[in-house]
Amino acid sequence: MASWDLSVSVEELGSEAPPLKVSVTSDLHIGGVILKVVEKSQIKRDWSDHALWWEQKQQWLLKPSWTLDKCGIHADARLFLTPQHKPLRLLMPNAISVRLRVCFSSPVFRTVMGICKLLNIRHPEELSLLWPVEGKKKKKDKDVETEVYDITCSPLPSSTILKLANGMPAFYAESPETEAVYKMLAVSQPPPAPETIAKMYQTTNVMEKAQINSRWLDSSRSLLQQGVKENDKLQLRFKYYSFHDITPQTDVVRLTQLYEQARWAILLEEIECTEEEMMVFAALQYHIGKVSLTEQFVASSPAMDDLDSALQCLEVKMEGESSADDMLETMTAPELHDYLKIFRPKRLTLKGYKQYWFTFKDTTISYYKSKEESSKEPIQQMNLKGCEVAPDVSVAGQKFCIRLLIPGPEGMNEVYLRCEHEQQYSRWMAACRLASKGKTLADSSFSSEVQSIQSFLAMQKTTPSNNTAQTDESINTHSLVSPRYQKKYKPKQLTPRILEAYQNVAQISLTDAIQKFLQIWQALPDFGLSYIVVRFKGCRKDEVLGIANNRLIRIDLSVGDVVKTWRYNTMRQWNVNWDIKQVAIEFDGNVNIAFSCVTADCKIVHEYIGGYIFMSTRGREQSDTLNEELFHKLTGGHEAL
Amino acid sequence: MDDIDAMFSDMLQEMDLLTQSLGAEAESAPLPKPPSIPAPQEMNFSIGFTDLNASLHEMEDNDLDALMADLVADISATEEKFATDRDTSKGSAPFAPIPIQPQSNFGLPVSTDTSKPATSSNSIAAPPPPPASKPSKEEQEEQIKADKIKLALEKLKEAKVKKLVVKVEIMDGSSKTLMVDERQTVREVMDQLFEKTHCDCNVDWCVCETNPDLQTERGFEDHENLVEPLSTWTRDTENKVVFLEKKDKYEVFRNPQLFYMWKKDKKSLMDMKEKDKEQLLEENFCGASIIVPDLEGILYMKEDGKKSWKQRYFLLRASGLYYSPKGKTKASRDLVCLVQFDNVNVYYCKEYRNKYKAPTDHCFILKHPQIQKESQYIKYLCCDDELTMTLWVTGIRIAKYGKQLYENYKAAVRKAAGTGSWANRTIQASSSASTPSPTPKAKAANGHAPQLPKDTKGPGNQTSFPPPPPSMETLPPPPPDPMLPPPPPAPPASTTKVNKFSPPTRFPQSSFPPPPMDDLPPPPPPPEDAELPPDFLPPPPPSFPPYGGDSLPPPPPDPKTLHLQVELHHLHPHPRLHHQLLHRQPNHPPAPSEKCLQLHQRELHLYKQRPQVANSCQN
Repeated sequence: MASWDLSVSVEELGSEAPPLKVSVTSDLHIGGVILKVVEKSQIKRDWSDHALWWEQKQQWLLKPSWTLDKCGIHADARLFLTPQHKPLRLLMPNAISVRLRVCFSSPVFRTVMGICKLLNIRHPEELSLLWPVEGKKKKKDKDVETEVYDITCSPLPSSTILKLANGMPAFYAESPETEAVYKMLAVSQPPPAPETIAKMYQTTNVMEKAQINSRWLDSSRSLLQQGVKENDKLQLRFKYYSFHDITPQTDVVRLTQLYEQARWAILLEEIECTEEEMMVFAALQYHIGKVSLTEQFVASSPAMDDLDSALQCLEVKMEGESSADDMLETMTAPELHDYLKIFRPKRLTLKGYKQYWFTFKDTTISYYKSKEESSKEPIQQMNLKGCEVAPDVSVAGQKFCIRLLIPGPEGMNEVYLRCEHEQQYSRWMAACRLASKGKTLADSSFSSEVQSIQSFLAMQKTTPSNNTAQTDESINTHSLVSPRYQKKYKPKQLTPRILEAYQNVAQISLTDAIQKFLQIWQALPDFGLSYIVVRFKGCRKDEVLGIANNRLIRIDLSVGDVVKTWRYNTMRQWNVNWDIKQVAIEFDGNVNIAFSCVTADCKIVHEYIGGYIFMSTRGREQSDTLNEELFHKLTGGHEAL
Repeated sequence: MDDIDAMFSDMLQEMDLLTQSLGAEAESAPLPKPPSIPAPQEMNFSIGFTDLNASLHEMEDNDLDALMADLVADISATEEKFATDRDTSKGSAPFAPIPIQPQSNFGLPVSTDTSKPATSSNSIAAPPPPPASKPSKEEQEEQIKADKIKLALEKLKEAKVKKLVVKVEIMDGSSKTLMVDERQTVREVMDQLFEKTHCDCNVDWCVCETNPDLQTERGFEDHENLVEPLSTWTRDTENKVVFLEKKDKYEVFRNPQLFYMWKKDKKSLMDMKEKDKEQLLEENFCGASIIVPDLEGILYMKEDGKKSWKQRYFLLRASGLYYSPKGKTKASRDLVCLVQFDNVNVYYCKEYRNKYKAPTDHCFILKHPQIQKESQYIKYLCCDDELTMTLWVTGIRIAKYGKQLYENYKAAVRKAAGTGSWANRTIQASSSASTPSPTPKAKAANGHAPQLPKDTKGPGNQTSFPPPPPSMETLPPPPPDPMLPPPPPAPPASTTKVNKFSPPTRFPQSSFPPPPMDDLPPPPPPPEDAELPPDFLPPPPPSFPPYGGDSLPPPPPDPKTLHLQVELHHLHPHPRLHHQLLHRQPNHPPAPSEKCLQLHQRELHLYKQRPQVANSCQN
């Protein structure tokens, strides 16, 4: 067989160097070509990660046993010998960049699996890569550049299960730097500066939201095939809003990143919510931020888990033993006594605040004319169980009022209690809040409640004086809400509203808070919708198709209303005509729809639909094995064949 | 040890004192103002717990007899238990007179004063097992003391438990009387009622409260505690507790598509397959967060403090009920929150066209449970038709209770399946005078309570009122027969009220002889009573606080409110929904996702047959 010259460029020789010419025959297999090239290059190194890339065809030659003939390679082909894994800058959901080695040769789906394994995120099928937003980037690039976390030194993820050390994959525990990376991944970030939010914020309508979805990479093709180069920047995001089997112990990074993505979606109003919901989100962000500072990142290796549970057992046991003493203590319930001022807008509108001697016992406030008369009948008793408690505070004006709405048979009774100073206020306020939930002063949460009220007051104190200061104690409440509310309210107005929402969440743990945040996010009406601008067959104007985990919706752009909903379980088949880029779907009852995609490739729509159907096939039992083949079957289109 | 000793004797002394003071109070019960109850001053914030004491005076003799039997049984059991405890502990320290009160004062042990000691049998800690090896004397003493402390604490804890006597009337006019303690859920109360009424235990049974002042009705959710809402009723209330079947209670779980796909054509929804319904439930109730039906539409809202009703576009979200103000879009950011559901409950209303000039009679209100009268803090809403009202009320319940509602439903289904056969058996058996009943409590109640129809009310109203609502047509209630001593075997629904009409003086205390329980040591325990059945109902504490004697004689029962008892049944069982329910046939197609997969695979074959033109566009 005649031999001919094949030109192969080797990356290690530099881009300037002329390609090496190797003499080959058509029945030489790819492995042989690589061997020849390596011999000729005379470089001694580990070549195991290298593979041939056929530039004209935009194709990897990954099967070493295939002959050149079988691959269809002739003398005019220009091949590159290049490593399959290259560094990439990855923008995490928490808006922080990580530099790491990823696979450029396998389908993006597999690449994401590798990335997630490295980052310790389970269920990689829910995530994918997309191009970052263009423009506005120049300025940001610089400051982001400084805080890039580099873990390119990490070993390539192998098929073996990563070992855990100190609750993190072993290699993170190797050096302080890598440990810092893991902390960044696993602990939620402090609230961003309001200016940062404002800079990234753009008023979004459905059309603009649809643009986001045009940037997804094709999961059945490799990075290099899609024009991604070494050190390029890509975003890693949760793509399918169907989060399978979240367990806080094993999903530390996953939960944190999911929370971060949700938080940014809300701050940037990528998903809309009402003012009330925004306040709850703000309160939870505040709480999560605060608790992540104090609550040390807890390691959760299996051995530690055992130890933990053992300790817990011990604790319970000791509690059981000491319960008698505890109960004795609670028999003498703590009380509060003070001179406070009371005001009832309903009855004595003109009289203003009047001073009495107040006592707080169990869930009841009683007041007397003076301390001396406290042994007599109280002037009045108010049981606060089930009442609404709201702060009416101005630190600058030294006004510390508690507004109580106490339910009675006739309606709600409005009462204001005025305290003299911060300490008094935080004690009485904490007592009122506990009482409204039916808890007494003896409840263990009392002191922490007092503390959280004080820290919130401190927050209010510092914000007007210096806006930039972002210490642990004080954060600008503006960094907890979207720019719309930054404009609408001053921090002074915002703080009490967030505080009001905060009182319901102040006692919950970090993971509970994160999960609650995610729950409220997932309960929003628009949650989980990915928009794509399409044109339905026979229509003259663009409309928006919303894709969710169980349905497709059609949105009329002029009205902004959902016109039609189709559920997947009534879907008989879907069909993509790649030539005219049209998606046709048939539903039960002979309903047929067809549309062409305007803002995104129809592969993206196809992948979304197939992807969601794949997500719905995941069962509880096979939670850790991923049926990659099925995914490609459902999302790959013709590529999969 | 000295500390504990001292503390213990202190406690016993305290208990002693309290007992004495209780005794004193009991003697002076008819006095208008017992010292422990704050007199209503400027504004009465104290909720009328004690007022409920008065309610018992309203009871008929037979009820009282039944209850009395229960109480006596409980008390003697307590005594015996206590005696055994004493024996085992061989305490040298004398027990202070255990605060077992004479039963002269037949009131409810419901009190705001939680420190009142009382004993009760069911939660007393079991006596410690005798130590295997002979411990040292000190250890033994220590052990004894610790046990005593535990015992006393248990008793104190038990004394804090609020208990209410609730009278449950059934649709035909008969009634059941229950002792409900504050730890019991509505589910448990219903189980008791099932036992007493021998009805079919299906999931639609519901304990409701009705408020004649506001003309409202609300079915308690199964997980709620019954005592808490009842405790907030005013003393002169005419509110009632009703036991009846309500088809809309769990309709959302039988036909979720009616709520989650309400925009679709109703007709097509009726044909939904069981499998698809299951999937809907799975999607909306089994995920990380509950999905609330995306209800939206025009409702009428009564303006605050005004008489007029205004149309507004309302939207339901998990976080609350919103409307879009005039001239704004219904985008989330423009919505105004009418109410969040943390502190309010949703109530069906009746005849608001007359009462408040509402556009239709399909109204519901949102209010704090403690509000009992017309108030500016109540949100009044009105729907165009009954179906819309059911949608909104159910939607709000889902938003408020979330997953709990689904749990309740599943528990109810389990209960219905488990007791169905049992209920059938007892229906036949119950024709004899003494109904077999698993708990001593129920036995006593049934044995003593030949449920005579309520003198003036029951039969009188029953006859003068329209026939039962459509939902009842399948099972017409037997007419109340005053001649039969046992309750009618399977009444389809029952009406209940906590009776608190009569002034407390109607039954003088002396008419109930106090059981001689005051002195120690108690009578020796008969062996068979030493062990109580584990599921024994919490007995009432034997000590009774005196009445809040200053009760004014309440207004005479308004005949209008009696209408309510019967007519309210028209409100709820949704005839249409019920109809659908009856004609539903389960159907089992393959799982939808699988179906899609298969079909798509077919599609993939189609792809294969197509010429690979697409390659060029893709690569």
